[in-house]
Amino acid sequence: MSPDDKSQILPYARRPDFKVARATELSGADRRLFRFLEIVPGVAAWATIIGIVLASIYVPFLAAYFIIAFSIYWVLKTFFLSVHVRHNWKRLKHHMELDWGQLIERLKYDDFYHLVIFPFYQEPREVIEGTLQGLVESKYNLGKLIVVLAAEARAGEDAAALAYEMKEKFGDSFGHFVVTVHPADIPGEIAGKGSNTHWALTQVKKQVIDPNEIPYKNILTSIFDIDTVIYPDYFNCLIWHFLTSENPYKSAFQPVPLFTNNLWEASALSRVMAMSSTFWQMIMQERPDKAATFSSHSVSFQALHEIGYGQANVVSEDSRIFWNLLIANNGDFEVVSLSYPIAMDATTATTMWGTIKNIYRQHRRWTYGVENWCYIVYHFTKNKSIPLKKRWSIALMQGEGYWSLVTNPIMLFILGWAPIFLGTREFHETVLSYELPIMVRNLLIVAMGGLVVSSIIALSLTPPRPAHQSRFKYIVMALQWIMVPLTMIFFSAIPGLDAQTRLMFGRYMGFWVTPKRQK
Amino acid sequence: MPTEPKIASLSYKRRQWLFYLLVVIFLITLPAMIFYTTGYRISFESEGTSIVTTGGIYITTDNLNVDVYLGEDQIERPRLFRSAYYIQNIEIGKHRVVVQRPDLQTWVKDLPIDPHIVVEVAAFNMPLIPQVRPITEYITATGTAVYFDVATTTDLFTKSSTTLLVYATSSLATSTFAINEEFLFVESLFSSTSTSSLSVFEQLSDSLERFRFSTTSDALDDEEIATTTEPEIIRGGIRLVERDREIFAVWQEGINNIPFYFCLTDRGSTSTAKRYGQHVADAVQRLSVSTTSPIIVDRDRLCRSEIKLNHLGQDVYYYNFFPNNADLILLHLEDGLYVTEIDDRGWQNTQVLYPGENFTVVVENDLIYILEDGYYFEVITEIELP
Repeated sequence: MSPDDKSQILPYARRPDFKVARATELSGADRRLFRFLEIVPGVAAWATIIGIVLASIYVPFLAAYFIIAFSIYWVLKTFFLSVHVRHNWKRLKHHMELDWGQLIERLKYDDFYHLVIFPFYQEPREVIEGTLQGLVESKYNLGKLIVVLAAEARAGEDAAALAYEMKEKFGDSFGHFVVTVHPADIPGEIAGKGSNTHWALTQVKKQVIDPNEIPYKNILTSIFDIDTVIYPDYFNCLIWHFLTSENPYKSAFQPVPLFTNNLWEASALSRVMAMSSTFWQMIMQERPDKAATFSSHSVSFQALHEIGYGQANVVSEDSRIFWNLLIANNGDFEVVSLSYPIAMDATTATTMWGTIKNIYRQHRRWTYGVENWCYIVYHFTKNKSIPLKKRWSIALMQGEGYWSLVTNPIMLFILGWAPIFLGTREFHETVLSYELPIMVRNLLIVAMGGLVVSSIIALSLTPPRPAHQSRFKYIVMALQWIMVPLTMIFFSAIPGLDAQTRLMFGRYMGFWVTPKRQK
Repeated sequence: MPTEPKIASLSYKRRQWLFYLLVVIFLITLPAMIFYTTGYRISFESEGTSIVTTGGIYITTDNLNVDVYLGEDQIERPRLFRSAYYIQNIEIGKHRVVVQRPDLQTWVKDLPIDPHIVVEVAAFNMPLIPQVRPITEYITATGTAVYFDVATTTDLFTKSSTTLLVYATSSLATSTFAINEEFLFVESLFSSTSTSSLSVFEQLSDSLERFRFSTTSDALDDEEIATTTEPEIIRGGIRLVERDREIFAVWQEGINNIPFYFCLTDRGSTSTAKRYGQHVADAVQRLSVSTTSPIIVDRDRLCRSEIKLNHLGQDVYYYNFFPNNADLILLHLEDGLYVTEIDDRGWQNTQVLYPGENFTVVVENDLIYILEDGYYFEVITEIELP
């Protein structure tokens, strides 16, 4: 980056520790503070789980009261969140029906470019083709699209060759089409989507943006996973939200990821996990003040430039970029929900066991996002320009999110029964001991009512049935939600606990590339 | 033409309102749920509404599809393939529990119900007509038991029943049938087992007499000592012992695992008699001064280390644990083979398993074999669903 570039970087983002990824990159008191923060989530999760076991043994009555309170809380939380899902479902449907091309007619958007970055590794040709074809079918002026196909040198010459082949095929369709090849082993980086994206941003700036003197403020950057297939009105919807938002250069724009590209081919387990992720994003669409960016999202190039294009040394780069922006802008940055879908792949493999392993690894990577909590709390202690209330609010809310992700399913479905098995003889003789499992079971059944809503919404978001698929599969799709208690434990709580425990012991994770569709 | 979407996102104000509403619901629901799960109920029976405390009974049965009554009220059957009933919302006081089925003997017990406490109890129901499996010396090629020299008017099973096919013939020819290996095994069991016509009490005093004479003359050798030693019958930490012409179930392990029926929750002797019966109060009185089998005080309860078994005032020819069960005892009495429970709260239910005066019993590998009038049977203890 040239000295000129640095001059545009926001003051706080110039700190040497602004892009810290782990404690080992710091020294002295800062290192100790960051290491402490890395330990906190794991300790909190394990202390909760062990605490409930110990309480069940030594103070079973208190443990039972806590479990009742927690079960009621869970029912109410389920209701609270389902209100968000249902509202967003309506909004999503409405946004999908709107003609965004008409909506933007009254706005002045001709000067704006869309920079679309597709980092990829070894994904098969049909995935990349499908993605670019979706882009070609967009209702937006394709001449205003700058497409970057960002290959990895690590993936070998075939990956780069495939990227150039794609440029040959689709290059003329867009205003600009750039292929970048991210070199392997750049010091200070970790292999993954974040470092590849970072490289692609700097390269496209050099190759297209600066030579064509395109103002950074006139570029909206969409960083998409390679399996992201946009809906035709995506860029219309995006530019409408950008131009009508209160603070467009201090906002990130988040679509709803629908993991539906291969939904009919995916197993029931994959579908449940994929739709669960979609539902969570739909909830966050209705509470953007509590959200961070996730997976594919969009933000102005100006904002990215002001922070030096994000971090190349983290696993959860999709959310980290938002936290970089929030902290560098002294808290003045927000997520704007588009409530408009993008289609992605559900995680699959050629075998059931492979699917299970892939889902587990993907969710462990996602839940390793807890590294962001360490980052934000660390910088909240440094950047006093962010309002104190906001710092506390975000730190507690994010902390609670990572804690509950790991502990709540285990508490609900396993530890809820702990006092019955571990409690004292005096406890076992009481009405409370006998009523506890009945009460917890009934409350969980009430909470499971939310699954019916999930099932209906999921079916409404399912793509049309391919001719070779049986109608019977609709029934399977409706009933697959009974797996949720198990998926919450095995693909949410346990990978989360795995990730937090690794961070707690300083066994830092690298980026694991989720395999896309396989033949 | 619309200029903007018609459906706005959920406003912060609306989310806050919903949040606080749910907080209020939580604060109201939590104490109500805790009160309910600890046994408090709202009673509308008296003139005004009042809050009452309740207790419960947890009853396990050894048969499916039995009818369970609390007083006059039949209890709803649990879900499929479960044989445990949790009866809740029971008012404080003494209640009668009845477990019955038309083809089974009825089990009845009176139990005291205390506030916030669930009383545990295990019911058992033996068949009204004993079910047996005949074991004959010869069997057909398909394994059917064969009875020889049987007249057409002969009733082979006068006091029992079998669901198995038997082959009865007036012939004595055995050439077309196979030797039954099980018969040989069972026969050897009876021939190797002492089938004394003396009761166990008489056998004990007899052996003690022999022991006394032996020790006053010459020292006993090891083999003789072994034959005079009382056989150890232990299961699940309970040992069966005979003493003073009575049979006792003696708890041999620590207080932590002691079966529920050894313990009482009230220490007043008058109250104990009222709650559990005079015989229990007497036992507590006796054990409270005993140095060999003392009463164990375990925080809020009083646990006896032994319970006397009800043998209906008859001589006992044989006793052992009921197959696969540590709570029930098999007693061969003067007029039949009985099953009794160790649990003496209220009373001990005792049910006849096989009636008669002239048969012998051997229990081997949790199977009950009977030899009567030269015929061998296995008594079936697990009753099939009607």
